[in-house]
Amino acid sequence: MREAEKTFISGLREKLVEDKIIDESQLDPDFAKEIVKYGGKDVMTCLQCGNCTGVCPISLKIDYKTRSIIKFCQFGLKKFTLETRWVCATCYRCYEHCPADINPAEVMIALRHIAIREGVIPPFIKMAATNLVKYGQSVKPDPEIERVRKELELGDVPSRDQEYAKVVREINLLVRSTGYDRLIGIESEVKS
Amino acid sequence: MDLATFAGSLGLDAITPALAGSDNVNSSELLGGNEVKRTPTEANGNSSGPRIGVFICHCGSNIAGTVDTSKVREAAEKLPGVVAAKENKYTCSDLGQDEIIAAIKENKVERVVVAACSPRMHEPTFRSCIQEAGLNPYLLQMVNLREQCSWVHSREKDKATEKAIDLVRMGVAKAAKLVPLEAREVPVEQSSLVIGGGVAGIQAALDLAQMGFKVYLVESEPSIGGRMAQLDKTFPTGDCAICILAPKMVELARHPNITLLSYSEVEEVTGFIGSYEVKVRRKARYVVEKKCVGCGVCADSCPVKVDNEFDMGFGKRKAIYVPFPQAVPLKYTIDKDNCIHFKTGKCKACVKACANEAIDHEMEDEIVELKVGTIICATGFDTYVPMKRGVYKYWEYQNVITGLELERLLNASGPTGGHLIRPSDEKTPKRVAFIQCVGSRNKKIGVNYCSRVCCMYSMKNAQIIKEHEPDTEIAVYYNDIRAFGKGFEELYHRVREEYGIEFIRGRPAKLSEDPETNSITIRAEETLLNKITERQFDLIVLATGLQPSEGGKRIGKILSLSLSPDGFFMEAHPKLRPVDTAIDGIYLAGCAQGPKDIPDSVAQAKAAAASAASIMAGKNVKIEPLTALIDESLCVGCGLCEEMCPYGAPEVFESDKGTKAKIVEALCHGCGTCAAACPQKAITANQFTDEQIASEIVSALGGIGVTAEKAKKAAKKAEEA
Amino acid sequence: MTQYAYFFGCIIPNRYPGIEYAVRWVCGSEGFDLDVADIKEFSCCPVPGIFYSSDKNTWLLLAARNLTLAQNERREILTVCNGCLTSLLKATEYLTDPKSLGKVNRVLSQIGRKYTGIPRKTEGRRRIMEPVKVRHFVDVMINDVGLESIAERTKKPLKNIRAAVHYGCHYLRPTENQTIDDPNDPVNIDKIIETCGATSVEYEDKLDCCGAGGGVRSHVVELANSLTEDKCRNIAEVGADCIVTGCPFCLLQFDNAQKSFTKEGIPAMHVSQFQALAMGIDPISLGFDTHHVSAHSFLRKLRGT
Repeated sequence: MREAEKTFISGLREKLVEDKIIDESQLDPDFAKEIVKYGGKDVMTCLQCGNCTGVCPISLKIDYKTRSIIKFCQFGLKKFTLETRWVCATCYRCYEHCPADINPAEVMIALRHIAIREGVIPPFIKMAATNLVKYGQSVKPDPEIERVRKELELGDVPSRDQEYAKVVREINLLVRSTGYDRLIGIESEVKS
Repeated sequence: MDLATFAGSLGLDAITPALAGSDNVNSSELLGGNEVKRTPTEANGNSSGPRIGVFICHCGSNIAGTVDTSKVREAAEKLPGVVAAKENKYTCSDLGQDEIIAAIKENKVERVVVAACSPRMHEPTFRSCIQEAGLNPYLLQMVNLREQCSWVHSREKDKATEKAIDLVRMGVAKAAKLVPLEAREVPVEQSSLVIGGGVAGIQAALDLAQMGFKVYLVESEPSIGGRMAQLDKTFPTGDCAICILAPKMVELARHPNITLLSYSEVEEVTGFIGSYEVKVRRKARYVVEKKCVGCGVCADSCPVKVDNEFDMGFGKRKAIYVPFPQAVPLKYTIDKDNCIHFKTGKCKACVKACANEAIDHEMEDEIVELKVGTIICATGFDTYVPMKRGVYKYWEYQNVITGLELERLLNASGPTGGHLIRPSDEKTPKRVAFIQCVGSRNKKIGVNYCSRVCCMYSMKNAQIIKEHEPDTEIAVYYNDIRAFGKGFEELYHRVREEYGIEFIRGRPAKLSEDPETNSITIRAEETLLNKITERQFDLIVLATGLQPSEGGKRIGKILSLSLSPDGFFMEAHPKLRPVDTAIDGIYLAGCAQGPKDIPDSVAQAKAAAASAASIMAGKNVKIEPLTALIDESLCVGCGLCEEMCPYGAPEVFESDKGTKAKIVEALCHGCGTCAAACPQKAITANQFTDEQIASEIVSALGGIGVTAEKAKKAAKKAEEA
Repeated sequence: MTQYAYFFGCIIPNRYPGIEYAVRWVCGSEGFDLDVADIKEFSCCPVPGIFYSSDKNTWLLLAARNLTLAQNERREILTVCNGCLTSLLKATEYLTDPKSLGKVNRVLSQIGRKYTGIPRKTEGRRRIMEPVKVRHFVDVMINDVGLESIAERTKKPLKNIRAAVHYGCHYLRPTENQTIDDPNDPVNIDKIIETCGATSVEYEDKLDCCGAGGGVRSHVVELANSLTEDKCRNIAEVGADCIVTGCPFCLLQFDNAQKSFTKEGIPAMHVSQFQALAMGIDPISLGFDTHHVSAHSFLRKLRGT
């Protein structure tokens, strides 16, 4: 068998295993409502014109179609939206051009909320949140930069200030009050 | 003022003792105390007020499916004055009406309450029904148990029944206070004004003239013909637009019953159905119409060349011009803004050229006064103008044009003689793209409606381009194709099968121009392919949507027409009175009412003509007596009513008793605004008198669980309002 | 005179101290002498791509806490970052809803704070409150300082510099919050550049995203970088000497991403740094050595050698 044929046939075999029909058991009828709950607009008004995909900078780079995501949301096909939740750059171009006045970027943000609550938590979220509860800022201080600051006579970064400990305590309290630490699994980092 | 005094002041003494007596008044006390358990016949004997009949309609299951109508009937039987209470499956049917007539005769019913649907639908039915039985038609009270009760409370049946009982009780209370009214008749002028000389206006004028009525057609442009005259061909049949329109234009100009006032504006409309008085400004043409023979020698001699608006700026015309060769009337017009004579006083080349001495630079605007019985408003549409810094780059790239511009470029009598070129280099484009829904179906710009013609005109134009240049590649970027009319789907098939036009489902996201070739690349998601594509075209045509015309907006204000949310004029009823307006004697035709194609515009024009004729054929027209009345002894002539009235009905005048106001009945719609506003309480709205409304309020407040305290408060509020 | 409070956010103090220096210098006594105070208790805004994306309640609380600090000092927040701008602006909008406000204040009371907004006027006994104002550095420069003052203070016009402006998405969008500039045709940073004597060059897809926002940089850095690559290619095509942006996060992306696809790279800087240069600051104070893409070529051109 020639190489091309091999790829072709093995590709087909792989595809054969997948179930090609979407039946009702895969649909989540309340998905659209859940999106509204987390601050997205009603995806049901989408006309599927594809303008959002066309203006989306991410859609040009990877196999990601803003319009398809909205369609999956309309249908309640939750699992199809899983992989692509974290690639939206929230540039809001889709929103600006949408003739149905939906805000696809906010829908994407609502999808992230849902994902987080299902335990799909990307590591960078934990990292940034950990920085926040430790330093009061989501970026960790860098010794090299601190040296430059000294040279420029800019004073310490806030998190090095003794009095800033109070701010960090306040932030810890706020983060705990909403259960955010438990939500994303950084309880161990939060001081009580 | 407490409720007792309030009610007393309105002559409701009968119920005041009950109100004043205790703080916890229940409904039975309000409605006549211990006499609650009376049967209708007993009530009949005891009551001193008029004898009332209540007829409750099931409306199939529309009402009875939600409201327990037998309970409503039982409650109605117990109401004071009610001598008959009946249920019917359909009260509006012959059977139902017969029952009303029988009750009037047998039970000597004097006031009729029909608890059914909105008065908008069947009030006339029941009015003529009771009139047949010998009652004054205005002794009818409709109670809306359908739109305002069963349909909106279909999930709460018990509460709906309770509300229905309340509504019927209020209706009965008001019915007891109804007084007979007489409709007045006014004569109808046997002439009509048609505003707008597009295809709709032309058709309406011709139809009315044919029926023998005098017609004045006012058109603001130098020629009639409107938008249709600008088009190349018409969809779906491909008839040449001007070829089928021109005969009508000529016929109109020749018709003895039609006076054509072109290059004129309606300035003022006063009066009412049957006798509207209209002031029309005939703008100065600077050419005497009677002398001009349309030879065009003047234009040949004119040294000024400017863009021709009729050709959407592609062609040129002179400062003295006719917009297009088939113009009607074929009379030249001087464009004052561009004429050298008006600028410097030097050139009079046209005057020298004209053998008939038709040109008169001293001409002034003229005001013509007309008297007409009816008005048809056919002010048409404007096309959407693309945004300045929008995605489609209409203002930045020369090779992006609109659909109407393309029509001119394809038109045999257009600036290119029908040869399609692209503006940047005047070469024939090899690849053409149409972008649909520009200025339609876009919530972002506040245009939510579909313009109804863009899909089809793009297909039609694509076909014409293919016929001219068979090797042109054409793609149509669409969101949804709407091919709903007769022969439309067939055209859709034809352009795909015979002409190979490609349809791409997706809204273009980005247009970018190649600076060397001026060709434009469209980036869009082809949604059915699920891929983002970039394709290059030589010419882009934006299928711009339809919008209410600017001139139309002005006319709308003059005629006080109401607008639908989309900005087009609103019809009196979307289904049953599609050409009428809320104002009697004024009708709508064509795109003034909403986007539509030529057959629909013509059909609506014919309907509007027929509606206008049906009024004028009667010689006289009845005017509803539901109007406001001014008690002159109370009126101080402050003029507030004149200010408040949306229809201009009140008129302040000087009488021997001082300044007073009067109501022009034919203009009055009985809305009651003036009655509510009048500080002297000198104005009464017929069938909505203070007494009648107060009796309804008081009976509404008599519902179970309402304390006198609450009732007092509510009454006070009602009074303040 | 309007009173402001510096809001530097997280990236500027911890990654680009040069911007902090530039902003303080431009607003300080050597520059326009604005009344700007430091509020030490400010925390992270918090980052919209992290907190707004994962839990809006927490995001709103943390943002409201920052707003109360400015509110208590009766100062307008002067942000230097698009992310902080959009996060805090959105929060002020959320807090106009009495229900959200009540919920937020119940929690904030535990740390002894309360968001009310700043009283604008009194009507009878009622005080009319307005949300704490959140201003972008560019907004303040254009609308409060004014181009005339900027022109006056331009001691060293950057005549031979061709700058490519990158506005950054959250300066322009979502359009319902941001009204500083026309989202389809922004001009403010270009105007500042031109007033500083330099040329602002037009380039393809100027309003496109840098690629970093919304957590994309943190999540799939290659994806973010490939967007930046497109942008930089368009900028390089028109021969720009530097990228000027109003957002430190975009700057960070341009600065870090370029090494993944090119050796040289186009130096990126904040609009405040650019302005400070035109106003005659010694470039050494602008901390260009903390930038990953060397600003050498740019500075050489600036000196005219």
